[in-house]
Amino acid sequence: MKPLTLFALLIFLSAGTWVLTWSPMTVRKVQETYYKAIGPFLQSGSKIEKFSRDFVREVEHSENLQRKLEAIQADYGELKIIEGRFRELERENVQLNQALGFQKRTTFDVKAAKVIKRQPSTWWDTLTINQGEKSDVGTQLTVLAEGGLVGRVDQAFEDISNIILVTDESCQVSVYVEGSPEKGILSGEPGEYGTTPLLRLRYLSRNAAIQKGMKVFTTGRGGIFPPDIQVGTITEVIPGSYESEAMVKPSVDLQNLSVVFVLAGDDTVEQVEDPEP
Amino acid sequence: MIRYLLTVLALLLVAFILRQFVPVLPQFYDARLFLVPLVFICASVTLDVLGMLLLSFVCGLLWDAQHTILPVVGDVEVYPEVSETLKFGYSIFLFAIAGFIMQGVQPVFREGKWQVSVLVTGVALFFYLFVEWMLLSFVRGHLVFTTDTLKFIFYSSVLTMLFSPLVFLILFKLAKLYQYRIRYEGLRKGRQIY
Repeated sequence: MKPLTLFALLIFLSAGTWVLTWSPMTVRKVQETYYKAIGPFLQSGSKIEKFSRDFVREVEHSENLQRKLEAIQADYGELKIIEGRFRELERENVQLNQALGFQKRTTFDVKAAKVIKRQPSTWWDTLTINQGEKSDVGTQLTVLAEGGLVGRVDQAFEDISNIILVTDESCQVSVYVEGSPEKGILSGEPGEYGTTPLLRLRYLSRNAAIQKGMKVFTTGRGGIFPPDIQVGTITEVIPGSYESEAMVKPSVDLQNLSVVFVLAGDDTVEQVEDPEP
Repeated sequence: MIRYLLTVLALLLVAFILRQFVPVLPQFYDARLFLVPLVFICASVTLDVLGMLLLSFVCGLLWDAQHTILPVVGDVEVYPEVSETLKFGYSIFLFAIAGFIMQGVQPVFREGKWQVSVLVTGVALFFYLFVEWMLLSFVRGHLVFTTDTLKFIFYSSVLTMLFSPLVFLILFKLAKLYQYRIRYEGLRKGRQIY
């Protein structure tokens, strides 16, 4: 090996190792600079991606569109009725809470955002939205969609933010199973593609009294997500020698998200001690 | 050499911009065209070790700036296991290894047999993605390699490999423009060699 090449290799190894030692704050600054530069292209790129996805979807599902529309119309009518009932119950709940002198919990203050890029990363389940720090979207905020939990904000830049989805292995959620005393940690499974991946619910008791079809909600414990947000439905229970596990289907269709809601000022996080399911 | 290297760096930056416009293919296990690694891998066979290392440093740094996710640490009583992630900067080394693989086929490439390099482009990308996945899997405390992951890597590598002749063509044009000599042997007499 030539001395110059050897010298260059040593410089390269030193520089690479130096980068590995960067603090999270430095990394965030570098990422911020990068996204500031790439932001305008990201917004334009999303239009092409959307067009491409829409085209593929159109080709794939054109036969089913009419059927789906009819089903959606029926669901919509049903949901309007449910919503009316829900509003009525909400009013009743507020009145009862006030009457009993309960501390009023913060209502959801959400900010709508458009999904501009899906799966920008190779291995992480992420997406990019068109709202950032300018719109008070900050790191670690909870992201919702129609149906329940989507994930959390991983990085917030000036005009855009990256969301890590609940299906990613690194996104852990403390949850409880409705109608049972079971609590556990929900996280994504590695290496799943295609249809919406299932989530794995761990740390359940050995003889957990849960069954297929039960709903799973956030507990609000652990300082990451606020309580009582629906995450999914149990599809399979896996009994174990020491603890049971369950597979959970996310309640949100994460493959076809176009609009999400960032939960702002969720001051219920960290305040909830141990809500009863 | 310097002008060619700078142009290749600029080409790499353009690839970073263009990759924002490249969609994933949900029908093929979310496979996609890895434009940035493609440009890097193709360029690294045309450069010497110094140029390749510089390119891998810039490429790895920008690649991680786009991709790195920082771990979230919740209350340890509730979340006993922290999901680890790869350190910012790991891609610098992965790109360098892929670059060294391409340097290995440089003698054949310089003989004018670029077809071999096209195949090795696919192999180098497959290796890159495979190692990246295994590293990620390892730091997360398990070594899982599913069939779906294999299909994702395979389809992405093949798709990216199919585009490599186009990138080689651009690199040859740039070499001609800046009179940078890529090929030495194996070309017909009387024809200008670049």
